Amino acid sequence: MSTSDEKDLVARCREGQDDAWRELVDRFGHKVYAIAYHFTLRREDAEELSQEIFLKLFENLHRYDGGFPLVAWILSVSRNLCIDRYRRRKREKSFRFVSDEAVTAMLPSDDDPANAALRKERTRMLFTALADVPEDLAEILILRDLNGLAYDEIGKALALPEGTVKSRLFRARAEVARRIRERHEGGGAPGAFASIAMAAAGLV
Amino acid sequence: MSCGELERLFVSGAPESEARAHRAACADCGRLGADLDRCADTWSRLKAPVPGPSLREALLAIPSLTVTCPQADALIAARIEGEIADADERRLRNHFSRCAACAAAAETLETARGLSAPEPPAWLATRLAAARPPSRKPFWRSAFSGKMVVAYAYAAAVLVMVLGLNPTAVVRKAGFASLGESTRTVVLVAQSSIGDRLGAFQERAVRTLAVWKGHVGGYGRAAVSNAIAILWRPESKKTPVRPPLGKEGGAASLSLEIRLAGRDGAEPFPARFRV
Repeated sequence: MSTSDEKDLVARCREGQDDAWRELVDRFGHKVYAIAYHFTLRREDAEELSQEIFLKLFENLHRYDGGFPLVAWILSVSRNLCIDRYRRRKREKSFRFVSDEAVTAMLPSDDDPANAALRKERTRMLFTALADVPEDLAEILILRDLNGLAYDEIGKALALPEGTVKSRLFRARAEVARRIRERHEGGGAPGAFASIAMAAAGLV
Repeated sequence: MSCGELERLFVSGAPESEARAHRAACADCGRLGADLDRCADTWSRLKAPVPGPSLREALLAIPSLTVTCPQADALIAARIEGEIADADERRLRNHFSRCAACAAAAETLETARGLSAPEPPAWLATRLAAARPPSRKPFWRSAFSGKMVVAYAYAAAVLVMVLGLNPTAVVRKAGFASLGESTRTVVLVAQSSIGDRLGAFQERAVRTLAVWKGHVGGYGRAAVSNAIAILWRPESKKTPVRPPLGKEGGAASLSLEIRLAGRDGAEPFPARFRV
């Protein structure tokens, strides 16, 4: 969908056309929910955040001028909401605890139970490490590696040059990898669970 | 600890082969590269979480829950005029809870509207009542007071007389013949009453005029005789000159004649002072 088509879609939404708003929801609803989920890691919170994002999106439709891709504009409009939620979650004691339920929602079904458990543990470790990464790095990793946004979309959404986006992304990836390795190497004599987790992460 | 070359290559968008070559040459970057590959593999295997079925319905209902900022402008105006529907009021309030700019605009406009019709302080009514001048009857009430109505009636009668109109003919021309019996009786009574009053007024007027005429005549005659007396006054007798003080001894008044000289030797002029 070209930028002019997206601009037309937004214009029709602004005029109050129900079918246009439905098209917007169907086109971007899942993506917005996925982003919200990766920031909150809780289904209820993600759905609530998605509604807040679309409410804000609707109220600010008149601000979209077609200058850049609609998804980037949606991100720019909703970024503060996502960061607020992320910080709110970070203040919770259970922030570093990633539940089975949170991980399962992101894992494809696997017929092999052992393989599924391994993958689940590896994913949990990644998200736990990501929780320790500064939020300006973490948000770029979430947008790029978990949601597949293009560098220019992220740059426009966050008002950053593409070089800065790439630099932060590299540092975010390196930080996650370093923290997983440090946890393994500095853990002394890890218990059986930790050993399995390190093996699952592919780091030992 | 990586040497930083991997990051530089990544940011510059260098081909993957260059990064591989550097990882093979640099032990730290080789280890970091391997960790990055494992993490990337894990991320890539994740699927996008799927929302529950109720989310789509909730998102589709959003236009009925709130308004855009331009729509809010129109609704704020309607709200100030008290012409907003309940549903729109709810949408507007919902919008205010998230849009500080619109909430502030609405508050400012409502405050400005309150300023145009301020509530008077409690003491003002008392002060105004104390400072109020004594009430006067309105102009139209004094113009139709009892005295004035009588004056109008007399003025109308005089006008009729001056114009040489016959009151009976006037009444007849005004459609008297077409009136009902009772109405005609009332008009006749009024007509006779006015006739009586006119007669009395005429009598008084004649008397008053006669008095004025007598006064004017008397005053006039007196004025004419006075004027003649002044104009035709006989030649006055020579007034005797009083002798100078001291020559005849004793005087009722002292008269001094002082001769003053002009400043530059001009002809002196007399000045008489009576003490």
